[in-house]
Amino acid sequence: MLCGGERFDLARTGLARTERLNGWMFIMPALVLLGVFMIYPILWSLWMSFQVGRGMNLSFGGFANILRLTQDPVFQRALSNTFIFLIVQVPIMLVLALIFATMLNDSKLWGRSLFRTAIFLPCVTSLVAYSVLFRSLFLADGFVNDFLLGLHLISEPIPWLADPFWAKIVIIMAITWRWTGYNMIFYLAAMQNIDRSIYESAKIDGVPTWARFWYLTVPMLKPVILFTSVISTIGTLQLFDEVNNIPPNAGGPSDATLTLSLYIYNLSFRFMPSFGYAATVSYVIVILVGILSYFQFMVVRDKRR
Amino acid sequence: MPNKLNGLRTLVGAATLGASVLAMTSALAGEVTVWCWDPNFNGATMLEAAARYAADHPDFTINVVDFAKADVEQKLQAQLASGTTDGLPDIVLIEDYRAQKYLQSFPGSFEPLGGAIDTSKFAPYKVELASLNGQSYSVPFDSGVTGFFYRTDYLADAGYSEADLQDITWDQLIEIGKAVEAKTGHKLLSVDINDSGIIRIMMQSAGTWYFTEDGQVNIEGNAAFKTALGAWQRVLQSDIYKPTSGWTDYTGAFASGEVAGTITGVWITATIKANPELAGKWGVAPIPKIDFEGATHASNLGGSSWYVLASAPQKAEAIDFLKEIWASDVDFYQKILIDQGAFGTLTEARNGPAFQASDAFFSGQPVWQNFTSWLAEIPGVNYGIFTEEADTAVAAQLPVLKDGGDLDEAIKQIDAQVKQQTM
Repeated sequence: MLCGGERFDLARTGLARTERLNGWMFIMPALVLLGVFMIYPILWSLWMSFQVGRGMNLSFGGFANILRLTQDPVFQRALSNTFIFLIVQVPIMLVLALIFATMLNDSKLWGRSLFRTAIFLPCVTSLVAYSVLFRSLFLADGFVNDFLLGLHLISEPIPWLADPFWAKIVIIMAITWRWTGYNMIFYLAAMQNIDRSIYESAKIDGVPTWARFWYLTVPMLKPVILFTSVISTIGTLQLFDEVNNIPPNAGGPSDATLTLSLYIYNLSFRFMPSFGYAATVSYVIVILVGILSYFQFMVVRDKRR
Repeated sequence: MPNKLNGLRTLVGAATLGASVLAMTSALAGEVTVWCWDPNFNGATMLEAAARYAADHPDFTINVVDFAKADVEQKLQAQLASGTTDGLPDIVLIEDYRAQKYLQSFPGSFEPLGGAIDTSKFAPYKVELASLNGQSYSVPFDSGVTGFFYRTDYLADAGYSEADLQDITWDQLIEIGKAVEAKTGHKLLSVDINDSGIIRIMMQSAGTWYFTEDGQVNIEGNAAFKTALGAWQRVLQSDIYKPTSGWTDYTGAFASGEVAGTITGVWITATIKANPELAGKWGVAPIPKIDFEGATHASNLGGSSWYVLASAPQKAEAIDFLKEIWASDVDFYQKILIDQGAFGTLTEARNGPAFQASDAFFSGQPVWQNFTSWLAEIPGVNYGIFTEEADTAVAAQLPVLKDGGDLDEAIKQIDAQVKQQTM
């Protein structure tokens, strides 16, 4: 009995082991690729962030790069620009997306799918292609200035890309144009999952439209709003293509549109290359993404209770 | 950050892959690949040189790849950093300001050319810019000797002749600009306000630079730098220029006849001559002088040289080509001077007919003789390896200065930023 039971256990462990082995075999290709192209570079960049030196002449520098961060005015400029984009652009974009989604969710709206496609379309365009278009639109004698001058809204051309303030505005407009539709699709999908009967009973109870939006739609979209704000935050922290391509001098004028990602690029490929320091700056983004995402989760979790 | 890093790696990878396909085809054809950045200028001269070489070497083929200068520089740097040599060209054009950065950051990536090419035939300052540890690495190409390129017709309408533009200061230039606008309605200059090139011109005209000879930051306390930046602040605050952003905007302003001129390197000739209908309406004067002891009317902006990659698949052929045409053919230099305004630095070529003649396009002025004599007066400076960093720091303060910012405060900021970036 005992003997038989033991044999049964053995057989079972044998089978389990084979199954486990098979399982590992199946995920092995994915794991190897992940290891080589994801985990190894991450660890290597962490090691690199402690290296100092120029070009290929690297040596271990301990915390020298972190010390350099604290004294680097350009890094501080890039950091504050990134935060300005984040704080100004993400709320504008998400509110716009929410408004568009609510409007387009109305089944009585004429040409609903046409508008939906039109608003979503910017996000299938290539980042570089649309950046180049925005640059030509906003040149000193580009389309936008000609248009505004033609309407006599302004008396002399606005130096869109030559002035630090206006350049930031152009970048904010560009990313809002590019990404609003993308976020709107998430809201639309979530709204279609909300039970219509809730709205019907609210209507019967005499709840006004704004209150139905504010007290029904928004709370029920909370998880999606959290998701979109987290991915938008990450996207904005990594902002690169637009600030590299829209201003005629990447990051300009006067470093007004320099972001952390562009600074990393400059440190590696434009300046006397300091790959170690560039890796350190890149870890600043990792840490920021971690902290901000954590806070966003906390805020939503508290409200849900 | 992993995403960003992966992005960069993918980018580098994709560039390598794309380029290695190119390299494979070129290896099959025995083709020499060249990277440069201006199809009207250095690209065109390279094609001319190749045509001449091919006359004696029927098997010789060349693939001149031109893309934006910043892209050439960044692609080269990314690829050298990646450690793979697939897809690098045989010959690459590098601007003099950046030569030492590449030579020092990527030791062993460039082929020493001192043995194959007699560098004593070139202007010594060009050879020195591309030398490291006693080895010279380049075949010098053009000089960036500067001039004030102006529309003779607009200035004549405002009452200024060629003689009125000799030996002027920057403040006198502002007066001229005001008169030109009052009389003709045209602004005098096309200025990219985020470009610090003009500060480099002013500094070198006074024999100073962002760095001292031994590489120390030389900004705060550098009286010549302060004079230059102050003079430029007065220009920026005057109303004599059209603010432009980016290269196309900048060149478009004078190519279209909207503004009366620009102050830049001799290589702009190619862009100016690209509008043949303006022949006879352009002239060249010396640049204004900054108000500083020892300052001159002669300076340099840019200028570049050809480098051979140590990993080049067609290395021997590339070197022989550079040697036979670029380091010997005096006649070739006459042709590219007239056609492209490429002001070569092969000393012998200066005695050729084109350098002696006057140019009908430039209102019959003896512009090439003038440039030759200005070239001889350019004060020598050591560019060092951090020009890009210093430029960025200066560019960041230019809009501040334009809006009336304090000069000393701006210099302090520039100094702090450069010191931090170069430590």
